[in-house]
Amino acid sequence: MQIILKALRANLVLGAVSAFTVLLFGGWSGGVMGWLLGTATGYLKTQDQFVPNPQVGARIGAVNGLALGIWTAIANLAYGLILRPLIGQSSVPLGQSLLYAIVSIVLATASATLMGAIQGLANPRHKQATWFTLAFILLIFPFVDQIAKTGWIATVIQIQIFAMLALGLNIPVGYAGLLDLGYAAFFAIGAYTTGMLSSPHLGIEWNFWIVIWIAAAVAAIAGIILGAPTLPLRGDYLAIVTLGFGEIVPIVFRNLTEIKIVEPISSLVATILNKPELAICLVGCDQPFNLTNGEAGINPIGRPSLPIIGTFSSTNYLPWYYLVLFLVLFSMFMINRLRNSRLGRAWTAIREDELAASAMGINRVNVKLLAFAMGATFSGFAGAFYGSYITAIFPSVFDFSVSVIILCMVILGGLGNMTGVLLGCIIIMAADRLYLPQLAQVLKGLLNTTILPNVANPALRDFLAISFDPIQMRLFLFGLVLVVMMIVRPEGLVPNERRKAELHSENSVANESLADVRSA
Amino acid sequence: MKPWQKTVLYIVVIYFIFLLGPTAGLDIPRIVQAIAQSPSLLVTQLLVGLINGAIIAIIALGYTLVYGIIELINFAHGDLYMLGGFAALTVMGAFGMQDGAPFISAIIPMLAALLVSAGLCAGLNVLTERYAYRPLRNAPRLAPLISAIGVSFIFQNLGLFWGGLRSFIPIMGNTAAAPKSFPDLLPRTDIFQALGIQTKIDFTVKDLVVLVVAAGLMIGLNLFVQRTPAGKAMRAVAQNRDAAKIVGINVDQIIVLTFLIGGALAGAAGLLVGLYNNTIVFTMGFTAGLRAFTAAVLGGIGNITGAMLGGVLIGLLSALSDQYLSSRWTDAWVFAVLVLILVFRPSGLLGENLQEKV
Repeated sequence: MQIILKALRANLVLGAVSAFTVLLFGGWSGGVMGWLLGTATGYLKTQDQFVPNPQVGARIGAVNGLALGIWTAIANLAYGLILRPLIGQSSVPLGQSLLYAIVSIVLATASATLMGAIQGLANPRHKQATWFTLAFILLIFPFVDQIAKTGWIATVIQIQIFAMLALGLNIPVGYAGLLDLGYAAFFAIGAYTTGMLSSPHLGIEWNFWIVIWIAAAVAAIAGIILGAPTLPLRGDYLAIVTLGFGEIVPIVFRNLTEIKIVEPISSLVATILNKPELAICLVGCDQPFNLTNGEAGINPIGRPSLPIIGTFSSTNYLPWYYLVLFLVLFSMFMINRLRNSRLGRAWTAIREDELAASAMGINRVNVKLLAFAMGATFSGFAGAFYGSYITAIFPSVFDFSVSVIILCMVILGGLGNMTGVLLGCIIIMAADRLYLPQLAQVLKGLLNTTILPNVANPALRDFLAISFDPIQMRLFLFGLVLVVMMIVRPEGLVPNERRKAELHSENSVANESLADVRSA
Repeated sequence: MKPWQKTVLYIVVIYFIFLLGPTAGLDIPRIVQAIAQSPSLLVTQLLVGLINGAIIAIIALGYTLVYGIIELINFAHGDLYMLGGFAALTVMGAFGMQDGAPFISAIIPMLAALLVSAGLCAGLNVLTERYAYRPLRNAPRLAPLISAIGVSFIFQNLGLFWGGLRSFIPIMGNTAAAPKSFPDLLPRTDIFQALGIQTKIDFTVKDLVVLVVAAGLMIGLNLFVQRTPAGKAMRAVAQNRDAAKIVGINVDQIIVLTFLIGGALAGAAGLLVGLYNNTIVFTMGFTAGLRAFTAAVLGGIGNITGAMLGGVLIGLLSALSDQYLSSRWTDAWVFAVLVLILVFRPSGLLGENLQEKV
């Protein structure tokens, strides 16, 4: 009993997440959360202590999983019996609620036990087994989602798109220390390249499997072109220039609707000689050329197709899920290899001290440009996938707030740490796309059935009805995340060791004066 | 790079500007023709640019003051100005002001709005400094910048929330996110006509009032910084924080004072823009903030006169671009100026070389 109570307290955070999910979504979501978070707690709780053999690990996992399951089960009962009537829906029968609760407990305990036991395996094998379990979870997730009727798969695909973006942004910001505030520009460039090359809008309908590479290459070239002017700049000036580019690119895409290009020298000659026929017209001679279709966007964009599956459809999420999963894993693999390469070490070096790095023979120009180009490449992949997944792109999708949201993920998770960035991405995207809309719905139900009828003052009632919309608070939440993370934990949730040492250096004054000496 | 290579590079760049420029509105024959057709339109447009530029300059002063003292790009400053506009609108609503109310009866509400919006923005700015920036004063340079971006988002969302308070502030209208109409209180009497001069140039009392108030604020700030002991202390802290501390200046107090002044100016700018453009929206802070920051950089960030000059130049640029290039491309041109200035002359027009600070 004592152990269980202790475990309940130890699993407060994960338990709260799980319980909160159940309170919002109800139904089998408790089971799914038990499965996912149970695996997580089984892994986490066995990390900080010595696990000599699978039995010990299984015991630790079981206790923690049980605690997690209890939190979830309580939430299940509270949701079915108390919350449902309050938000104006019929309550879940006691038997059904109990079934949900028991399934949550069982799944949480079982998965935590399994994961704990895996951690107790001998040294090389426990790593392999952990990866295998993770891969298994990712592979069967769509089916579990279907069976449990949670309907999270569309959001999970969005999360993965942003995971690619966050991993890409992590290269310039996290590895090379170049704060890029206009990262959405590369996302836009990737998406628009895809849109132009595979939609009837321009009459070019190439295959997705070719276009995605072109999009990545175009984004990389754009990364070099936009990165080149920023080379002499440091720190906040660099951030502002990238922000400027991030603002210019969507404006350009919005306005490239009436292009008419006339060769200037011939046009000048034509004006002087007063012979208009001498002006050489290059593009849009008969009627202005519409490249991007402005605010209306490019629509429809071709979808990928594979031999057996055929063309991916908008109703069947499975092929999309596996495609984007493959892309994310591919990006992770590539970035990991880059990180540990000569180039990756050069990035770290210029982040820590540009001058010293160049004194050691690192070519600053190439290394910085490659950081921008590599970061842009992965957002090119993401953009290409996004374009063909949504099948329509608009310039308003790529504004500054997207850049900041991606930056938020990187900072929340931990600059320069891949696990951290993925975690940050999952937290922010899940909160933004999954929890906030559902919370808005639940709150609306709660207000309409329970609270509003009891509020007499009409002004107050109107205020409650329109102002309590969690979706409208999303910018507030992102801003709060940035400020709080900067003050409380600038190194992020899962810090990169080296980065942490930099951010918490005791002798910052010494560094400061060193910088002054250097620049003098 | 060898000199001839540089020359070739410049020629190629200029060629491309002429090749692609017309797409973004830079069609020189058309512009020349338009100006020749109606020169008075050019003068009117220059006046519009001047007034908008004066408002931008007031916001730019907030950026430049803060950057001069703690080398932080206070990203939230633009949104602070937006909140100033909302505060002013709320005061107008409380006084029951409506379009075309007599000027005399509007004087007290306008003064009250100035006090409230300037006070609110100053207070918010000081609070932001205390809780979001001061803990990061010894952190790496990028940490306070990211924190400032966060504060900017918080302010923007606050504006959205404020705009949705229709149940308490009816003047906010029905939709939270929609642009709010600000009561049109300044008389639109044409000054030249009233004086009996026949011109095609529009210059109304409204323009004059906004211009005079903006100029007054700028002159007042300049006097404060140049003539008072507190202003002297501010300049000292900007030059060298440690040395200022040694000679007995309370650096924290001076920083708070700077944020106070910058915030009050932003609040005043919020009121002015409401009175001048008669519409405010919760997203206006971001664009205006970037324009003002561009202005501050253009003039030389940290330099007060430079910020005023830069503000007027950016105002003129956007007004002329709206009229003669293409209003859809104005933002792109402004940001292009920002990028070009930062890349080629980071010290700005009037600033001393800031290379060692960057």
